[in-house]
Amino acid sequence: MSTDSQTAQKKAKQQAESDQSNVKVFWRLWKLFRPYWGWMFLGILLSLITILANVGLMALSGWFITSMAIAGVAGVSIDYFSPAAGIRGLSIARTASRYAERVVTHEATFRAIAELRHWFYLHLEPLAPAVLQNYHSGDLLSRIRADIDALENVYIRIIVPTSVALMMGIFFIFFLSRYDSSLAWVELIFLLLAGVMVPLLVNTLSKKPSKKKVSISTELRTSVIDSVQGMGELLIYGAAEKQAQKIDDLSKQLLEQQAKLTQLNGLSQAILNLCANLAMLGVVMLTIPLVTNLGISPSNLVMLALFTHASFEAVMALPLAFQTLPETLESARRIFSIVDAKPQVVEPIDDSPAPKNTEIKFHKVSFQYLNQQEKVSTIDASKNILNKLSFSLKSGNKLAIVGPSGVGKSSIINLLLRFWEPISGTIHFGNHELSQYKGDDIRQYFSVVSQLSYFFNSTIKRNLLLAKRNATDDEVEEVCRVAQIHEFIVSLPEGYDTWVGEAGFKLSGGQLKRLTIARALLKDAPVLILDEPGEGLDSQIEKAVLNAIFDYKKETSIILITHSQTGLDAMDEILRLG
Amino acid sequence: MSADKITKKFLNSHKSISSAWLQVSIGLGLFSGFLLIAQAWFLANTMNAVVFEKQTLSGVQNWLWGVFAVFIVRAVLAWASEQAAFHASAKIKQQLRNRLHRHLQAMGPVNLGNESSGERVNTLVDGIEALENYYARYLPAMSLVVLVPLSILVFVFPLDWVSGLVMLGTAPLIPFFMILIGKGTESLNKKQWRKLARMSAHFLDMIQGLTTLKIFNTSKHEAEVIARISDDYRKSTMSVLRVAFLSSLVLEFLATVSIAMVAVLIGFRLYYGEMDFLLGFFVLLLAPEFYLPLRNMGTHYHARMEAVGAAEQMIDILEKPVAENFTTNAESNNKQNTIQNILQDSERKLSISFKKVSFEYEEGRQALKDFTMEVPAGKTLALVGASGAGKSTVANLLLGFVKSTQGSIEANGIKLDGISLEQWREQIAWLPQTPYLFSGTLAENIALGAELASEEEIIKAAQQANIDDFIVSLPNTYETLIGEKGVGLSGGQIQRIALARAFLKDAPLLILDEPTANLDTESELFIQQSINVLSKNRTVITIAHRLSTIEKADKIVVIDAGRVLESGTHQELIEHSAEYRKMLAAFSGTGVDVDQGGFL
Repeated sequence: MSTDSQTAQKKAKQQAESDQSNVKVFWRLWKLFRPYWGWMFLGILLSLITILANVGLMALSGWFITSMAIAGVAGVSIDYFSPAAGIRGLSIARTASRYAERVVTHEATFRAIAELRHWFYLHLEPLAPAVLQNYHSGDLLSRIRADIDALENVYIRIIVPTSVALMMGIFFIFFLSRYDSSLAWVELIFLLLAGVMVPLLVNTLSKKPSKKKVSISTELRTSVIDSVQGMGELLIYGAAEKQAQKIDDLSKQLLEQQAKLTQLNGLSQAILNLCANLAMLGVVMLTIPLVTNLGISPSNLVMLALFTHASFEAVMALPLAFQTLPETLESARRIFSIVDAKPQVVEPIDDSPAPKNTEIKFHKVSFQYLNQQEKVSTIDASKNILNKLSFSLKSGNKLAIVGPSGVGKSSIINLLLRFWEPISGTIHFGNHELSQYKGDDIRQYFSVVSQLSYFFNSTIKRNLLLAKRNATDDEVEEVCRVAQIHEFIVSLPEGYDTWVGEAGFKLSGGQLKRLTIARALLKDAPVLILDEPGEGLDSQIEKAVLNAIFDYKKETSIILITHSQTGLDAMDEILRLG
Repeated sequence: MSADKITKKFLNSHKSISSAWLQVSIGLGLFSGFLLIAQAWFLANTMNAVVFEKQTLSGVQNWLWGVFAVFIVRAVLAWASEQAAFHASAKIKQQLRNRLHRHLQAMGPVNLGNESSGERVNTLVDGIEALENYYARYLPAMSLVVLVPLSILVFVFPLDWVSGLVMLGTAPLIPFFMILIGKGTESLNKKQWRKLARMSAHFLDMIQGLTTLKIFNTSKHEAEVIARISDDYRKSTMSVLRVAFLSSLVLEFLATVSIAMVAVLIGFRLYYGEMDFLLGFFVLLLAPEFYLPLRNMGTHYHARMEAVGAAEQMIDILEKPVAENFTTNAESNNKQNTIQNILQDSERKLSISFKKVSFEYEEGRQALKDFTMEVPAGKTLALVGASGAGKSTVANLLLGFVKSTQGSIEANGIKLDGISLEQWREQIAWLPQTPYLFSGTLAENIALGAELASEEEIIKAAQQANIDDFIVSLPNTYETLIGEKGVGLSGGQIQRIALARAFLKDAPLLILDEPTANLDTESELFIQQSINVLSKNRTVITIAHRLSTIEKADKIVVIDAGRVLESGTHQELIEHSAEYRKMLAAFSGTGVDVDQGGFL
């Protein structure tokens, strides 16, 4: 079997993500960091002080020692108090400002990052479930965790050091030009080499491995989730070994990319140190004639040599920063691709109307699940899941929807909850078109027991309270009694505080189903939708639970989606699909 | 042993994996250190010649060539040393990740199920990465922190014992202070790692349950939770970093003061003519280099603490017990039992018997008690009973996901004790309640574990599972990529893909866990047909909900509270068991035609 189509699918996804140019991505990142410009400014200022103090310290020490030696040999006295005090002051300034700079830049960055995670979530939420079903949760986890973390580089490693290097570079060159323009040229050439050429070079060379590294890490994360959550199947079907090899292989691939990046990093650091050394050597060679021929003070020779060497601290961080830049931008791109994704359903701008009642009306509704790229005009009507479906449900009535698999029973829920929109036809709720309601507003009128109900890794009680945060213990127990699960819960050693375990792992399918029902009952919604409430339940329990629900929610509209006959006799109307 | 010592021992135990690379890295670093001394000597001579001997450029060119050569060689050495260090850490990282993953697999899904997969993912992906700086930077730096300053001292002492004394006196202060600070940050760092793991776990949970959050209109509330967790994480990150920065502040300050002391002492001796410039400048150039490795220790120490935090999570996984064999019953461990013994003369058929098997998931939660049953070879056994009665536990025991606390399980009359799990599982096909589909294509999912399966075999299995029609209706047919948990496929379709797996595997024992519990009539009929075909000539143990399944079963075991309540054929049970009749009565009450299938 060919894998062409598979790679084509992957390519399409990647294409969408690499749409944005680096400059554009960087500009967007910059805008996101803007609220923190005050911090950033302070960070730059402190960084400037640190470097200046360090360069000053080295230069002054060199000058001081040489002058002392010359004075000693010549037997003249000099004022050694002021330089000594200068050395002390600069040492303290350097140490203190470096500490302050680190605290300030990191604080600012982590504040920004915490805010970005929140911001990312706000953009992620509208995409569930229609758009997000195309993404593996490991992929999304990578984005909200590792990709957002990677953005710290933009500020700590790129913006501050680059600004500082630029300002300091100009200052150093100016300073050296006061002794001789040739010294300034040497400084300029080597600073350009170390601070511009090398960073740009490693930036270019690291693009490919960085990009690969990000995608391999994501694949690794996805595979580990597969491994953990699908372990039963892997073990029984003898695929565990293959999976282990796959993980090991991804691990190896990741290391290969990291090895390439380490080589680049090692290379750039070596070149950088060499540049600093060679610049110093150049300055020494150019200053010696000045000392011997023009008679400038020999102390200046030592001072200028140490000054030049120390000045390269200003560009030391740049190669690594620019090396990680492609990776950072790749992460940023992955974040923006989620942020920019259009939700399947367009939210109305105006406030949602107030429904007059809870009547539901489907009028000639057609529906099929479309890919994002597909346009409504090119729809193949033969693929419709729902075809011109019409029905209505008056407030407080009970409707059963019955039919075989694939006739779109569950799609009706997805439409009502505004997770998807119909291709044609209209849906009304409370005499207003459904599309006039915001998703959050319409969902408050519905309570749903569905196949996709999820249990969080928390206690039974906290999972139930999702439906009504301020529910009293009595209310919680009452719905659990209706769902015939109360007895079981109190039989557990920790009762309602029992930890459910991830995805409800510790409980059986039937127990989870009844908890799902209890949770839906707890929500005070005028319409209750039961999608296959009997699944996983013994028939005795199913019957008892359904009767109890009907009894408990007498005033509520109920839509019962089922393929079994249980509960149908209590319905006002039965809609057969397919 | 304290938790700290265990963590340190754990980290140390992996050093041997790449000690050669580590030694290379350290050796190169040390060589570079020696060259540094030479470099200082050449430079000092240059300056001395120009300043005091009035030499011209040509007069010092030999010294300058020396400096140039040292610069080049040191650049190469720095690069090579870094590569060696990376290779050292790479080997360890890869081995450890592999080991952790295999350990998780050996634990099995039931034991693993209690743990959050988000935390596990964090440990296997990010935790391992956090070890890099420990092995690639911290360990080499720890050796050099002694070796390089020591080499410098060896040169300085004979030339200038005053400076040597200052260096010798102040150097030990640095590690002393650092250990003092390190003690406090270690616990902070571990807390930080636990927070990171928990944050990952929370995010994964949130992502997987986002639709549920939306249905209950709590996704806005979740936004606040995300903001709070993120902010919390920021605060704890900063509390760790602040200490780390403070420790470098102290180190740097100590180093700076010490260098200043050396400089002042040299300065005054130069001034009073007690020392010549060449020597003074040489020692002065070496002083910052003497303290450099010590100053860097702060940064590397931070790497160490990160590694310790990550290692704790790894040890947590590796300490969880695993067993390669079917049972942990040591006294009855019969090494002679092999899968060949069991399959001998049986024409690939298996009879299964449980003899007084007991099991509890945790203390006090008894799932099975003295459970005894027989499944004849090639026959179908249906397990029935209320949810929580222990049906799934029987399946989990047979699958080797959990191990009985008492009693024995036998296949063809031979105890499974001591049988390799891997070989035993080769005999089983399994259809779980909610099958998992892996990220990949449909074909890959069907051929799970059967890499050698041909295209024809995969298609045939899909046809037998009644899913081929659906698959070929998709634009990419068998190459369709499926998302996690088969999002986009209906429950019935996922079940049928899982069935195709079972057909492809063609194993003598088939375990079905509520196979038709969550489906519509049409899918149920399809699946039932497929299962009937699959059950032929196989031993089948099914956790049943449908009457038709039960009626067709050769034997029915009714379980209640972990014990066998009744067993026999459908007819026998109708005649003798009041409990069984009661269940049937409830079923008939729904008024469904029995043959159309409904829930029991």
